[in-house]
Amino acid sequence: MDVIGTLASIFARPDLWAGTLRFAAPLTLAALGGVISERSGVVNIAMEGMMLVGAFFSVLVAAATHDIVLATLASVLCGGLIAAIHGVASIHLRANQIVSGMAINLLALGLTSFLMFRFFATSGTPSDIPALPDVKIPVINNIPFVGAVIGDQNLVVWLSILAVPLAWWFLFRTRIGLRIRAVGEHPRAADTLGISVYRIRYLCVILSGLLSGLGGAYLSLSVAHSFSDNMTSGAGFIALAAMIFGKWNPIGAFLACLLFGFGQSLGINLQGTGFPDQLVAATPYVLTVVALAGFVGRAIAPAADGVPYEVGE
Amino acid sequence: MTVATLPIERPAGRLRQLVASGIGPILAVVLAIIVGGVVVLVSGSNPITAYQQMLVGAVGSPFDISETFISSIPLILAAYAVSFAFRCGLFNIGAEGQLYMGAIASTWLATTFPNWPGIVLIIVCIVAAMVAGGAWAGIAGWLKAKTGAHEVITTMMLSYVAIDISHWLLEAGPMTPSNAYGTPESGPIPPQAAFPIILPSWILPNARLNASLFLTILAGVVFAWILWRTPLGYEIRAVGFNPKAAAYGGINVARRLVIAMVIAGAFAGLAGMVPVWVQMRLYDSFSPGYGYEAIAVALVGRNSAIGIFLAGLLYGAMIHGAVAMQANANISGFLVQILQALVLFFVGAEMLIRWLLRRGGLRALVEAPA
Amino acid sequence: MRTLRVGFAVAITASILFGACSSAATTAPSAAAPASAAAPASAAPAPASAAPASAPAASQAAVASPGASAAASCVAANPNFKVGLVTDVGGLNDKSFNHLAYLGLQQAQCQLGATVDVIQSSEQSQYVPNLTTFAQKGDNLVIAVGFLMANAVYTVAKQYPNVHFAAIDTAPADAKGNTVNLPNVANLFFHEQESGYTVGYLAGLMEKDKVGAATSNTISYMGGLAIPPVDRYIAGYIAGAKAADPGITILGGYSQSFTDQTIGKSIGLNHISRGSTILFQVAGASGLGYLQAAVDKGVYGIGVDADQNYVAPATIITSAIKKVDVAVFLTIQGLMNGQFKGGDNEFTLQNNATGFAPPNSVVPADIVAQVQQIADQIKSGAIVPPTTIPK
Repeated sequence: MDVIGTLASIFARPDLWAGTLRFAAPLTLAALGGVISERSGVVNIAMEGMMLVGAFFSVLVAAATHDIVLATLASVLCGGLIAAIHGVASIHLRANQIVSGMAINLLALGLTSFLMFRFFATSGTPSDIPALPDVKIPVINNIPFVGAVIGDQNLVVWLSILAVPLAWWFLFRTRIGLRIRAVGEHPRAADTLGISVYRIRYLCVILSGLLSGLGGAYLSLSVAHSFSDNMTSGAGFIALAAMIFGKWNPIGAFLACLLFGFGQSLGINLQGTGFPDQLVAATPYVLTVVALAGFVGRAIAPAADGVPYEVGE
Repeated sequence: MTVATLPIERPAGRLRQLVASGIGPILAVVLAIIVGGVVVLVSGSNPITAYQQMLVGAVGSPFDISETFISSIPLILAAYAVSFAFRCGLFNIGAEGQLYMGAIASTWLATTFPNWPGIVLIIVCIVAAMVAGGAWAGIAGWLKAKTGAHEVITTMMLSYVAIDISHWLLEAGPMTPSNAYGTPESGPIPPQAAFPIILPSWILPNARLNASLFLTILAGVVFAWILWRTPLGYEIRAVGFNPKAAAYGGINVARRLVIAMVIAGAFAGLAGMVPVWVQMRLYDSFSPGYGYEAIAVALVGRNSAIGIFLAGLLYGAMIHGAVAMQANANISGFLVQILQALVLFFVGAEMLIRWLLRRGGLRALVEAPA
Repeated sequence: MRTLRVGFAVAITASILFGACSSAATTAPSAAAPASAAAPASAAPAPASAAPASAPAASQAAVASPGASAAASCVAANPNFKVGLVTDVGGLNDKSFNHLAYLGLQQAQCQLGATVDVIQSSEQSQYVPNLTTFAQKGDNLVIAVGFLMANAVYTVAKQYPNVHFAAIDTAPADAKGNTVNLPNVANLFFHEQESGYTVGYLAGLMEKDKVGAATSNTISYMGGLAIPPVDRYIAGYIAGAKAADPGITILGGYSQSFTDQTIGKSIGLNHISRGSTILFQVAGASGLGYLQAAVDKGVYGIGVDADQNYVAPATIITSAIKKVDVAVFLTIQGLMNGQFKGGDNEFTLQNNATGFAPPNSVVPADIVAQVQQIADQIKSGAIVPPTTIPK
């Protein structure tokens, strides 16, 4: 088979690139959340759970109110709320943050499935819920290749792309960002300078929940237009990997999400080209490992990441 | 993300310490039961009935006890895989893939050489499962040592790759014998290579618990022995505690990382073989996520051999107990996941437990001399 | 001071946890409204086929209040006739055979008064103890859902010869994998390829006649995993489409998942971008993402198993039907009336258990009529749809 020719024709498909952006969007939001949380020194492996909670509650509220704004708000708030539990555990209770994060993931899976059955039984969520809108860009929409790639993407895709420079600016160019990084690198010194370590960490953990919750709402209110059990299917863990891959930097994390999204999109486009479908599904994973080992290498976490802080000792 | 902050504790030497380290998790379970009960109550069912059914369902008869063990064993073994890596400061989030490789390798051997004598075949299969799991994890360890590639990413990605490989082997042909319905499953494991059933049929007809239980206990002993009684274990723990200091002390950190991952993967490989040897064939998507749940078990068991064994039994009992709870009390089995999460949460929230204990006048227990 | 702070933290944790729980309680009434509102919506499109359509409504009533036994139209409970259902690991929300089996079970609860219970399996190695649990309880009938339970059904049915079993999509198989029919096990098989063939034929005609958005002469399908019940649908779909329009282009793929809707949708958008204007899903919940792509891009979708028109009435032109619910109901009824049949029970177009759901208004009447003719030819045996996908 003509591998080069096949690949070339796939690369010329606009859907390969549009798909890359679509896959990357929810991962990016969650990964940015992870970056912010860990930059402040709180390890966060709970993005999966936060996304799932956001996905479920947005659909629940959308079904009850038929209001897309309220539904999106609910996803963000519920993501933030479950993140706050992680915050209390890891900041005030000084719990092991991996334990707490894992507990949040399990809890989210159990709780959403439990409530799903309670509220919607087995017939699924109603089909008349509102959706997050796609953004049709008038002029670009008509440009042949470009239009098919970015002319008709979902609002959240654009929000996620917008969030990347914002998060970077927030972390590296604002006073509060400086404080966050200080708290994550050297909480004792930050404390001595009068920065409230706890307050900063709560802020960051909750922010990560808000962002992940929105990522979850994208999955349920845009991609699927419904909720089903465990519908995040590991997206939060991929976001975790992207955060590390991107070396705890918003831009790096975004690039990692794009790489992964590209891999997934490529895997889909490779279906039906003669390779076994089951094996081309592994494309994003192989691509990630190869890129990581070959080009990225060692990543160093913020110094105080995962170390609970005790005030005034 | 650093994992240097993962629970590192001394081996429990004194009885008092043992009690002190056990009372936290027990209280965590109690708290989880209370909060879980509230969830059941709020959702409109009777928590007492729920727990009663779950308890009876898990340990109410010899058959149920045997089934509880069957649900527990893969979790325990996979948790050893997660925990062994933890001890070296590595977060092995991809035990799932390692156990898939173990299952594939052992099944392939058993179905390819169905005429070998049972004892030979089973030993070869055990070794194959451990080698395959170890090799798969070893890739992640080697990449970490060579290039610094973070093990959270590599183990997770390799895990998905392993699962996709299993789909291919079982759905697209190479491991599937042509059967009447084209079902994606391997050929049968030859009966002579089965693990012997522990309880003879005149005690409990149709019991399925087999000698893999002893293998699991042995694995726990090996786990503890390597970590606490060998120089290698000392070095692995030293690397886990502080890699820089370990390197300064003359330990080849890179090599220890690889070895720790290989040993961890070997445990996971075994964890993959055991459920296949219960069903006597490898089915498509055979694992419900043992490797992920094992992370919780490892953490609840605080990375000690005995702790993990007990935590695995607890989780297995909840899983099997949920069967009766669903059948007799009509309560969603997802309650189990909520309970598992709460147990884990309260185990993590040690300070909360300590505070509760102090209020209860059990200070002496909590503040056992270090 | 320190105690105070810890106490504060505990209070926060507790309030959040309890808050989460009670928020569930307070949202219950408001959320119950859309849930029950959904029932008539899903029942509306297909009032003709009474059995599956009325079932969702019943399910709402039964699940919303587990204590209350039945709605008004139901017969008095018959506590001595017990039926247990064991799902496979897909669970009741799989949007596929587990869900449909559950609907059949609920119908039996309502219309026959049977006492019903469900166990959702969380791992494959639990199939034997789960089936045993019901057999031990003395259930009259134990229903095993899913094609991977062949050996588990054999093991348990041998052990409890006085209990009746129904195996959906499979037959009991011994340790070596050989099928062994047992007198107390009814094997419920469905000719999914017939359903696939009819909807494929319909899709082919739509493209050939360039109806509405179906102008590209390209259609597509997405399966979950390449497993027999999925591939039988697809094999029929391909054959049917080619029979209607030999020049048609058929794209295909698998999501490698029955839950991941992101992948499902992306495959859908990919197929649409490559020209597909009719999308057929055989991937449970993952397939809903696939259909959603059709909704977003204004092309057509074909549902699976149940009539999925309710997902998007304008988009879902028809569905490939597999009436697991009816099969379950009939099996329960048969056992009650002493007409239980061990061994293979085939569910086909002949007994209206497969086929296509009533098409929506997009599909012209003459196409519906032609597809109906094809269905009749399948019934008569003049057409035998293939069960495997051509390589």
